[in-house]
Amino acid sequence: MVGSPGLASRLYSSTEKGPDRELIAARNGGSVKNFIVGCLAIFLAATVLTLRVGSAQGPYDSQAAMSNNSSDPRDLSGFWALSIDSRQIPPAVLVPTVTKTAIEKREKADQKAIRWCNLLGMPYIMDPGRPIDIQLGKREMVVFAEVPASPRHIYLDRSAHIDPQIFDPTTNGDSIGHWEGNTLVVDTIGFHPDRGITAIPGGGFRTATTHLVEQYQLLENGALLSVKFTWSDPKVYKTPHSYEFHYYRMPANYEPPPGLPCNQYDDLRTQFLGFTPAAVRKPSDVPGAR
Amino acid sequence: MISGNSFKQTVGTSSIIRNKAMSVACVCALSLLGLSAALLTRAAQQDQTSTPNILLEGDWVRTDTNGSGDFGGLNANVAKAQLTPAGEAIASRAGRGRGGRGGATPPAAAPASGAKETPHAAGQAYVLVSMPCNGMPGNGMGSFNPDSGGFHLIVGKTQVVWAQERGGSRIIYIDGRPHPDITNSAHPVYNSTGHFEDGVLVVDTVGLPTGGGIPGGAVRGPNTHLTERFEVSPDGQHMKIVYTYSDPSLYVAPHTYTYTFDRAAPAPTYAFEEWCDASDPIEGQSIVPPAQQ
Repeated sequence: MVGSPGLASRLYSSTEKGPDRELIAARNGGSVKNFIVGCLAIFLAATVLTLRVGSAQGPYDSQAAMSNNSSDPRDLSGFWALSIDSRQIPPAVLVPTVTKTAIEKREKADQKAIRWCNLLGMPYIMDPGRPIDIQLGKREMVVFAEVPASPRHIYLDRSAHIDPQIFDPTTNGDSIGHWEGNTLVVDTIGFHPDRGITAIPGGGFRTATTHLVEQYQLLENGALLSVKFTWSDPKVYKTPHSYEFHYYRMPANYEPPPGLPCNQYDDLRTQFLGFTPAAVRKPSDVPGAR
Repeated sequence: MISGNSFKQTVGTSSIIRNKAMSVACVCALSLLGLSAALLTRAAQQDQTSTPNILLEGDWVRTDTNGSGDFGGLNANVAKAQLTPAGEAIASRAGRGRGGRGGATPPAAAPASGAKETPHAAGQAYVLVSMPCNGMPGNGMGSFNPDSGGFHLIVGKTQVVWAQERGGSRIIYIDGRPHPDITNSAHPVYNSTGHFEDGVLVVDTVGLPTGGGIPGGAVRGPNTHLTERFEVSPDGQHMKIVYTYSDPSLYVAPHTYTYTFDRAAPAPTYAFEEWCDASDPIEGQSIVPPAQQ
């Protein structure tokens, strides 16, 4: 025989006739057991694998539901909460045209937005006083909380902003994101200059020319989310204004309580906020008016 | 001591037994392998059916399949709900209309008589909605029965998020969690859980607030279950949601109807923001009639 004598001889032996084959079979008596054990092992392994795959949407893992970390360095999905030690905000350096009067005018506008339950937008949505929900989809990442605000849509499937000639400015702007290593970099323009709460932590406010860059990165094995915000706007900031939030990951089984109502027609609330209740207009005498 | 012949005979007998054992073992092993393969195949199939349909993610707008031309006509083909007396009682309290907006307080202004339509002079607007923007954020009964506003579905690892253009979002948990116990909750909060069946998102919701506002004059109570089936067409451009309300105490038979949607186009699509500022008089009034020729 040419080639591997061991394998060839075993193959050859198994086809031999006569007493030698019987002797070989007698010697191989123990391997039958091994064979059966091996098959059982395969069977068990397949069963375990089947059960694991089948349970992808099967029994709820209550232990995992208590977890507040993640081994995936890009797993931003989950509920995140800011605490008393979560904000690192230096004072902003403003341009001279942003006077005290201009700031007070903005503050009044922000109070009016609260009084009328307007959609509050960025940057309020990132620090709304209750946990925010981040969900990472295939096409976009959404950020929202049960407060009067539009959800933030951060698009991951395009590298350019919507043409400003087409895009209608919003309280959250047009956000696009991409990964640089395990950091999600988000670029936002297209802010509405007046709608919602425009105040930015540390000083200043958003305008139509504001540009925001954010960097999302998981820390502490996914238990913490660092978001670095950098605001640029030649009309507001002398130098780019940066600050950082550390969000704590909530347990996987967390469910947010319902959003609190915001009723712009509640006179007590209106007066509490320092405004005079507005008279409700009577609907005209036409069909469908209410 | 065994002689040579008896040794051969013993070996021969032993060999026959062992050959049989080997045959049995082989059959056994092949059966086990076959079973293993079958289980693995089934597992693979289950994996396919449980895989979220990524086509679900995207921007959707409701379609007018009745050619009704106005929002009121969109539900014209929804069959009337077959209610029990208890269901009828809720319906009569809620009204049989197409559904309110769930505002936080009842209207304070006097209702319009609605009987006569008075011509308005050029440039004279009339008030259609006395308390505009009330009940925002949210639309379509909290993302259950979407109206004319676009909405956006995001399929995450543990949630499907229904994001609205008027603010607010609805969460559908797809991580296998059970519904919370809401039986003793003074203020029940709806809870939606879902799973994928052959790419169709099947959602079960409990805890809907008691009331009406459901197409076909249907109602909700503390024990009502809503099942929704989100099914995207193979080309990914259309979607239908089949709604089924079940509650033996309120319905003689489950109440079912279907909404249809188109994916927003052309790409790149993105979410609008539907702004409503109740401090702006324009929000509640009609368009201003132009000067007549």
